[in-house]
Amino acid sequence: MSFEISIGPQHPIHVEPLMLRLSVEGELIVDVDVDVSYIHRGIEKALEARPYIQGLYLVERICGICNAAHSLCYCLNVEQLLGKEAPPRAKYLRIVVEELSRIHSHLLWLGHYFHTLGFETLFMYFWRDRERIMDMLELITGNRVTTSYNTIGGVRRDLTPEAEQRLRRTLDYIEERMRYYEKVIDSEPTILARTQGVGILKPSDAVRLGVVGPHLRASGVKHDVRLDDPYSGHDEIPFNVITWDTCDCYARVKVRIREVYESVNMIRYALDHMPSGDYRLKIPPFFKAPPGESLSRVEAPRGELVHYSISDGGDRPYRYKVRTPTLANLLSVVEMLRSRDGYEVYIADVPAILGGIDPCICCSARVMVTDEARRRRTIMTLEDVIKISRERGAKRR
Amino acid sequence: MSEEDILRKITEKFGESVLEARALGRRRISILVPPDAYKNVVKYVAQDLGLEFLSCLSGVDYGDSLEVVAHLGFSTQILIKTRVPKNNPVIDSITDILPAANLYEREAHDLLGIIFRGHPNLRRVFLPEDWPKGIYPLRKDYAPEHPKPLRGGEVG
Repeated sequence: MSFEISIGPQHPIHVEPLMLRLSVEGELIVDVDVDVSYIHRGIEKALEARPYIQGLYLVERICGICNAAHSLCYCLNVEQLLGKEAPPRAKYLRIVVEELSRIHSHLLWLGHYFHTLGFETLFMYFWRDRERIMDMLELITGNRVTTSYNTIGGVRRDLTPEAEQRLRRTLDYIEERMRYYEKVIDSEPTILARTQGVGILKPSDAVRLGVVGPHLRASGVKHDVRLDDPYSGHDEIPFNVITWDTCDCYARVKVRIREVYESVNMIRYALDHMPSGDYRLKIPPFFKAPPGESLSRVEAPRGELVHYSISDGGDRPYRYKVRTPTLANLLSVVEMLRSRDGYEVYIADVPAILGGIDPCICCSARVMVTDEARRRRTIMTLEDVIKISRERGAKRR
Repeated sequence: MSEEDILRKITEKFGESVLEARALGRRRISILVPPDAYKNVVKYVAQDLGLEFLSCLSGVDYGDSLEVVAHLGFSTQILIKTRVPKNNPVIDSITDILPAANLYEREAHDLLGIIFRGHPNLRRVFLPEDWPKGIYPLRKDYAPEHPKPLRGGEVG
C-alpha cells in the first residue's frame, strides 16, 4: 500500500502556490503529481486587450525576479514586429541590467537553497550580498525590484559615470565574496552529503523533457540562448557557458555560482566597451504594428524564456504567448522525484531536489490512501489512521 | 545547418504536404502542414534532423480553425504549424516523440480546447477545478469585460 502525501499549495517557506502529491512507500517516493493551477492570472488574454505600450507594464509583472528578462523579451518581440532595432548603447545597457538581475536571482536562489537545507548562516550571507546588487539596480534603473528599465526601442535611462564607478566596486566585492562562498560550500560535508548524487537528471532525459537554463547546463548540456541565439549584442561579448557533468543537485549549485563570475565579467566587458550614442529610439507610445508574427527568446536567470506574438495589423497583439522557464522545468521535477531501478528518492531529498520548496506534511492534516491496484482514493482522518494502526498492532500480538 | 538547408530538406521530404514554408528572419523558420502530416513532420525534424528540443507549444484561435504551433530547435527555431477545424479540434499528440510536450499540450487543451489524441493524461492544468466545461478562455469568442483604465482622478 502506498500513501499519498501532499506538499503545498501554501507553505511559509515558498512564496509560490504549488502542490505536489507524492505517493510514498515508507520513505521512498514512487510517484509524483504536480498541480500548478493556483496562480494562473490570464495574462496572455489580458495582453490581447491592451495596446503594446501598456502590455509592457503587465509583462514585467509576470515574475518579480525575472522582470528584466520578461520586459527585454517583450521589447525585442515588439521591435521585431516593427522592424526596428535598439541602438548599440541600449543593447549594452540592457546586458548590464540583465546580468545584474541574473546575479541577484542566483544569489537569491543560493540563499534560499541553503536555507531549505538548514544552513541558515549562508542564507544570511547570500541575501546580505544580494542587497548590494539591489542597490545597484536602484542606482541604474531607479527601481529596486521591478526595474522598468527596458522600453520599446531601447532603455529608459542612461548610465552616469558615478554609477559606473560604484557598480565596478560592487562587482569586485561580489566576486571576492563568491570565491569565499564557493570554498565554504566545497568544504562543508553536510552540504556535499545533501546535494551530491541527489536528484540525478541524465543529459538525454534533460533534453527529452525540454529542461532549460542552469538546470539543463547542470546536466552537462551546453545550451544557452545567449550563445545559440544571441539577441542583444551577445555575439560581441565574450563569455563561457558553464556546464557541469555530475547531473545532480551539487552541479546545480556549482553552475549557478560559476555563472555569477561570468555575469560579473560580462558586465565589466560591457562597461569597458560601452558604445556611445543614443540609448533609445524615439517610438510614439501608441502605434499599430504591421501584420506578422515574431518570436523572441531570452536567457532569463531561470532559463530560456519564449515570447511568441501574432499581429493582425492592430494596435494590440492578436495573440501573445509566453512560455516561462519554470513550466519547462516542472516535468523534470517529476522525473527526478520518482524512484526507479537503482535510483532511490526519499522524502528527505524533496527539499534538496525541489530547490526552494520545503515539504509540509501536517498542513493539510489528512492522509490520502491510494489503492494502486484499484486506483481508488480515500481520504482518512488522523483518527482513522490511529484506529487502523491499533487494530493491526493488536492482531500481531 | 542554415535556415535554407532545413527548409530545403523538409520541402524535399514532404513535398506536396508542406502548405507553406518560409523563413521569419534570422534563425526562425515557419512551416504549415495539414493535420495528418503534422506528427510525421515533427518526428522527422526531431529525430532525423536532430532538433529534438521542444521549447514551446502553443495554440492560436483563427475564427473557424485553431492552429497548433510547435517550436523546435536549440539555435534555429522551427515553428511547425497545423490547423484543425474549430468544431472538431482533434490532433495527434506528440508526447511519445517529445515528452516535453506533455504540459504544453495540457495547457493548449485547457485554455483553447484542442484535443490531443494519444496524450497520456489530458487533464486540466491551469484553470480551477470548478471552471465551466466548454468555455475556453483563450478563444476569441470568450470576451470577459475588462476593467476600464483609470484616468485623471475619475474612477470608472
